[in-house]
Parts: sequence; C-alpha cells; structure tokens
Amino acid sequence: MGKTIVEKILARASHKDEVYPEERVWADLDLVVMRDFGGPNVILEYKDAFGEKPVFDGNKVAFTFDLHVPARDEKVAKNQAECREFAKLMGAKLFDVNTGIGQHILFEHGLVKPWDVIIGTDSHMNLLGALGAFATGVGTTDITAGLAYGRLWFKVPKTHKYVISGKLKERVGAKDVILSVLKKVKTDGALYKAIEFTGNAIDEMNLAERITLTSMVTEMSGKIGFIEPNPSILEFIKIRVASEFISDVEPINADNDAEYERVINFDVSDLEPQIACPHSPDNVKDVKEVAGTPMNQVFIGSCTNGRFEDLKVVAEILKGKHIKEGLRLIIVPATMEVARAALEAGFYDIFLGAGAVVTNPGCALCTTGHPGILAPGEIMISTSNRNFVGKLGRGAQVYLASPATAAASAITGVITDPRDI
Amino acid sequence: MIKGRVWKFGDNIDTDQLYPGRYLPITDKQEMAKHALEGVPGAAQFIKKVQPGDILVVGKNFGCGSSREHAAIAIIGKGISLIVAESFARIFYRNCINTGLPVLEFKEAKEINQGDEIEVNVETGEIKNLTTGKVYKASPISDLELEIMKAGGLLNYLKKTTGNW
Repeated sequence: MGKTIVEKILARASHKDEVYPEERVWADLDLVVMRDFGGPNVILEYKDAFGEKPVFDGNKVAFTFDLHVPARDEKVAKNQAECREFAKLMGAKLFDVNTGIGQHILFEHGLVKPWDVIIGTDSHMNLLGALGAFATGVGTTDITAGLAYGRLWFKVPKTHKYVISGKLKERVGAKDVILSVLKKVKTDGALYKAIEFTGNAIDEMNLAERITLTSMVTEMSGKIGFIEPNPSILEFIKIRVASEFISDVEPINADNDAEYERVINFDVSDLEPQIACPHSPDNVKDVKEVAGTPMNQVFIGSCTNGRFEDLKVVAEILKGKHIKEGLRLIIVPATMEVARAALEAGFYDIFLGAGAVVTNPGCALCTTGHPGILAPGEIMISTSNRNFVGKLGRGAQVYLASPATAAASAITGVITDPRDI
Repeated sequence: MIKGRVWKFGDNIDTDQLYPGRYLPITDKQEMAKHALEGVPGAAQFIKKVQPGDILVVGKNFGCGSSREHAAIAIIGKGISLIVAESFARIFYRNCINTGLPVLEFKEAKEINQGDEIEVNVETGEIKNLTTGKVYKASPISDLELEIMKAGGLLNYLKKTTGNW
C-alpha cells in the first residue's frame, strides 16, 4: 500500500523505512519557533530544566514577534526583552517588532523548505503546508524539549484528501473555498488528521491563496494541511532559500495508491461568496443570506488573508471610494515586505483615502490585546480565521469572510456581496 | 487510580474560553491558575467551588483553538486530577500529556453527570461511576503517552530516557 505525504515526511525525519497512522515516532526537527507570546514561558521552562545548556542548533531556532508589537505594556516589553537576551545567548535568529507574522516571515527569509519538520508556538503553523512543509503548532513544553534535543514525538496522523475542482466565479476566492469546506467538514471534522488538498482549482492557486486554505485546517482541528508545491512555488522557495535544497533532498509526493481515511470532492464552479457567522468558523452561509447585517468594524489582515494579493483585491474595491460613515476599517499587512509592496503599488493612498486605519504588520485582531478590539454588542467582519465567543471582546460578534466581501462591506456598512459594489 | 468529583462541560470548548487571550503575557504558573476556565459560559460555580482532586468530564474537541499551554497549566493549578473527554483537540491533548496532566478519551462521556463521583484507571481505561454504579471502558492511552504522563511530563521523561529513543 502506498504512502501519503505526511507518512513519508515523518518516516524520513524519524529515520524509518515507513511509518503507519497512529504510530508514535520521534522526528528530527528542522526548525523550532517561538513568539513574543509563548517564548518567555519556554525560556523559563528551558532554564529551569537545562540551565545554560546550548540549544541543539541555534541556526534552527527562531523567535518571531508578531502578537503584541511593538510592546503594548510593561509586562510584554519585559517578555520581549527576555526573548532578545536568550536568542543572543543561544545564537538563535530573532525577528523583531518591525517584521510581521511569524510563519510569513520564516518563508520570506528562506527558513522553510518543502518536507521540513517545523514546530512553533502558533496554532496556525500548519499554513506552511502551502510550501509543502510539515509544520504544526505545539505548546511550550514541546518547544522546550525541541530546543534541547532537536527531536520530538509525533503521532502519525491519518490523511484526508480534499479534491477541489472547477473554476471560481468572479470575486469568489480561496477564503470562500475554505469556508465552504469548513461548512461541510465542521470544526472537529479533521481532528488529528493531515489534509492533502488537490484538484484543478488548487493547481492554479498562488502562494497567498494556498496559505488561506492551509491556515484554516486548524479550524477543522487538523494537524497539518499540505499542498504539493508546483513549479512556481518551488521557484519562489529556491530564490528565498538561496541554496540548492532540491539537490540535497529528494522530493516527497503522495503515492498514487496512498491510503486515505476519507476523500471528499468539492466542485467550486458554482460557489457563492461565503461567510462564517458568530460564533463558530463552521457556521457558514452564503453572503447573500446575511447581506444587510450592519457592521461597526471591518478587519482585513491576519495569517490567513494578509498578503499582497489579498490587499490588491481590497485596493481594487476601495479605489476612489470611502468607507461608510461611522464604520471603522483596520487594515494590517502580514509582513513588512507585504507593506512595502503595497506602498509601492499605491495601495496605502487608496486605503488612507478611503478612511482606513493601516497599522504595522503583525497578527493584529486575532486576539484581545491588540488595538482595535470590540465593545460589547459590536459587530465586526474579519478576514481572519476564528470567531469564537469573546475572542475579540466580551459580548462582541465576529463574521469571517474574504478580503473582497470585507472591503465591499466596509463601503456599505452592512454585509455585502462583493459583486454588488 | 484516580478518584474524584465531576465537573461537566460541553463540546468545542476552545482555549480562549479555558484561558482568555488577555492573560497571555502572564508567565507565572500560580497567576495563570487564577484564570482557568474564566471564559467558559456556565463556569461560575466551577471557578468558585472547584477543589483539588476534582475531575473534568467534557464533550467533543475539548481545548480547540490556540496553542497556549497556559490553558493546561491553569487547569493543573486548580488541582484538577484528570480530564475525561469525548475527544480532545490535538495541541491541548499534547500539552496535557507533556505537563503530566492525566487525560482519557471516552466516547460515552455524556453518560457521566455533573457532581458524580468517579474512579478511573488511566492505564486500562476503566471508569467506575461510584454514584450510579455503572462501569465503562474507555480507549486506553498509548504506551508512549502513558510513560510521559507517569514521568510527570515530557521534560522529566526525556531526562530519564535520553539516548533510548
């Protein structure tokens, strides 16, 4: 019987000929990542357990600051200072408050290669499956162990295959696709599973769109989502990694006779713009079913929809227009590289002219603690990935949608199908 | 063998409910414990009255959402001796094992009621409901996870076994 991508990656990383679903393996780690949140807890735990012992390989350890950037209060400032000091001591890489969302920074800086095994203190690490890497979110004890030993235990997941076919309609994008998948699969439908996305609708997707899909595997409780890198993705990685990684690592692809626990076919040709209503990412409806619902705020950004291609759609829709009076629009590029590209493309002129607040790159409105959270009773449409109760302010409601739907709704002040603008 | 009084909660309780995001900068474990389950609807009684040794019995996908280990640490800080769930979200499950908090998956968790006293053998998966007299068999935990849990968590386990894995 053939093997899936995750089975092959974990077999290689654990030095075995083959591994089987449910088996526990110890895999070598290619990269261990901490953030300004989680990082300080790891440092305490590491020092307590191992004192000043050097980490397994400073070149394979990175800190990324993306949650409370720049530091919002004294405690956060102290946490970040501790991370900087530890990174220096251990020879680890550190991406400071002027960089952006961790996973995006990692691949922009060439630290992510297909078939790598990566762990980080971020439940959306798995978006790196858009580059073919096995990356998964873990807690601080896993990171501490990874730092010391360079290996970690994993349960080999069963794999589900989602075949996405068809040609998307105008202003319907990857976010609408993944929300429609969530509607079917539900928030616990991929619990412990690896997901392989294939199909002709995926083949044509660029990196930003692939990231939108793989990031929201987390919301299905999946362990990892993979998309086999096509030549243009591999070319992007080659430029960033600046080494002949392809020559020293044999490519990993799923076998034709690989065993999947579940295969689901999605035809997206007739897909309408989708929206996840409060308070669950799987409470998904067609936008037109809830069109007209009034909004207080719109957030465009996050690890799911904060790339240049996302902002480009927003700029196209906002060009020459102004947001509804009384509504707040907050736009946050994923990284500084994205911000600079948006600036050069003239998007900032459009955004600021439309009345938006554009903040520095980071995770932004993914959790309380970032400027822009909501008052009780307020309603927001967000391009992020979660709308759990209270996550962005007690008593607030959050809808999840595409950048196109969010931008269109910012203009009208109510939930709006982007084709109606 | 773990024996204790049951606190019952439902499906899809996420880490923002178990440990709200506004407390993420906290690094002190005792301080984290003060916020355990603070965002869970209907947890007011739990927060007031939970006692060391009590057991959580919960529904599907418990601990979904973020990777914050704070959630597991805060629950340990409250003295919870065991979590029995219909299913766990994967990162939260790892965090419990890695911090030595016993966990067990039990498909019929809904059969156990709030306030029941139960006795659980994590190694065999046997659950005795001392209040109703019923006996159940849950799926036993894997050998590796059991060893990590028994060692008191991942770091203790690795220190004991380095070189053997």
